[in-house]
Amino acid sequence: MSTDDESEPKFGQQALMRFDDAPDRFRAGDKGDRFSGASGVLFEQAMAQTRMAICLSDPHTPDHPIVFANRAFRQLTGYGEEEVLGRNCRFLQGPRTDPEPVARIREAIANEDVVVVEMLNYRKNGTTFWNALHLGPIYNDAGELVYFFGSQWDVSDVRAARAEEQHAREMARELSHRMKNMFAVISGIVNVTGRMRGIQSEAAEINARIQALGRAYETTLDDASSGNIDIGGAIRAVLAPYDQAAGRLALEGEDAPMPFAIISIVGMILHEMSANATKHGAWTVPDGRVRVSWEASGEDATLVIRWEESGGPAVDAQRIEAGTGTAIVDRMLATARGRIEREWKESGLTATITVPAHAI
Amino acid sequence: MAAICTILLLEDEPIILMDLEFAAEDHGCDPVSASSCSGALDRIATPGGIDVAVLDVSLGGGENCLPVAEELGRLGIPYVLHSADLDRHDERIAKLDAELIAKPANAADVIAAAIARCERCNGGRT
Repeated sequence: MSTDDESEPKFGQQALMRFDDAPDRFRAGDKGDRFSGASGVLFEQAMAQTRMAICLSDPHTPDHPIVFANRAFRQLTGYGEEEVLGRNCRFLQGPRTDPEPVARIREAIANEDVVVVEMLNYRKNGTTFWNALHLGPIYNDAGELVYFFGSQWDVSDVRAARAEEQHAREMARELSHRMKNMFAVISGIVNVTGRMRGIQSEAAEINARIQALGRAYETTLDDASSGNIDIGGAIRAVLAPYDQAAGRLALEGEDAPMPFAIISIVGMILHEMSANATKHGAWTVPDGRVRVSWEASGEDATLVIRWEESGGPAVDAQRIEAGTGTAIVDRMLATARGRIEREWKESGLTATITVPAHAI
Repeated sequence: MAAICTILLLEDEPIILMDLEFAAEDHGCDPVSASSCSGALDRIATPGGIDVAVLDVSLGGGENCLPVAEELGRLGIPYVLHSADLDRHDERIAKLDAELIAKPANAADVIAAAIARCERCNGGRT
């Protein structure tokens, strides 16, 4: 809120400021006794104390002049009471005020409707603010229209934050798009180079890793500006291509924000595990299953991934452990101060992978 | 050996385009390439035409593949979309009835997905 204005007293006079006698005077001058008794006292106190800028206009006098404006209204707009009373509310509008909300206000008044609009208004000193204006009719006990009520709220900060958030989201999407395009280009370079050098199968292996990494970035980007990514989305994206037949792959885990740096290691490890399952493990047979579950917990936000294969052939552990993919996993985890525990069961490989988020 | 089909590759990034071309040749297809909508539309209108297409969604200069997709739809020619930008597509792109392959993808997989849709080459089966 930026309702402070030089036209109202500030420090040193705060004791005085608690008393806003505008409601009092308004009641005294209100011949119809529309704010009498207990409700009148309530009105008086509420109007004087609220930080919501409020005014009332008289729909029975030509051009609907303002007949009451509380202190918050005067603070927000910078006008004194004598400058406000008797004028139509449109004096707050200016050259950059959009005519569309103004038309909606006019229509609401004509139909005695309630309306909420956001419009650019001008203070006495010429500065502008975004006003969330709530306007509606007030009726007396007999159901006759007596006033139009207007409450003004300075939403400039809210609007700025909204615009900033929107901008950040667009940037995150654009960044994601470019990043994935870059992965596609790198992948193309590897393929084309591999072809020219006659090392297509090596190139394909490199490419599979690059692509797994590229998919890991395909996650919800709402949190991108915070430096975190959603680990659940990343894991699902990396493994998505392996989920070709129903039941082959089961994923279980919550979405949880993790530091961005963890992505490459998680992407690479899951890719190697999948490649192994495809070459030697559960995914060499149609009924083979892999269940991947994960948990990110604790203050140090350690990520624990459980990889469980079943239904596959009996595996020669020696042969696999010597493989390049396995060596890469071990090496990467060592660098990240994580660990992997492999267990070669009759039903297939079970592995528990632990990655500390912050040691990377 | 005659090509199994003629495949249009619309892609504004030259390296990705080259990768797709090679992969198409590996699959026994005859690739025709374009890097803009007007180029692609010219190729489609060329006598002999094309059997199937791979369309990059976001092309340079703020252009997207929608005009090409609509023309292919009109002619009943199948196509797949190949894009890095999965959530920002405008509504008309989202409504296109076509498989979407997320970049980065293996070029061979992209081509395989395209010819699987191509009846004229019997989905790539011989």
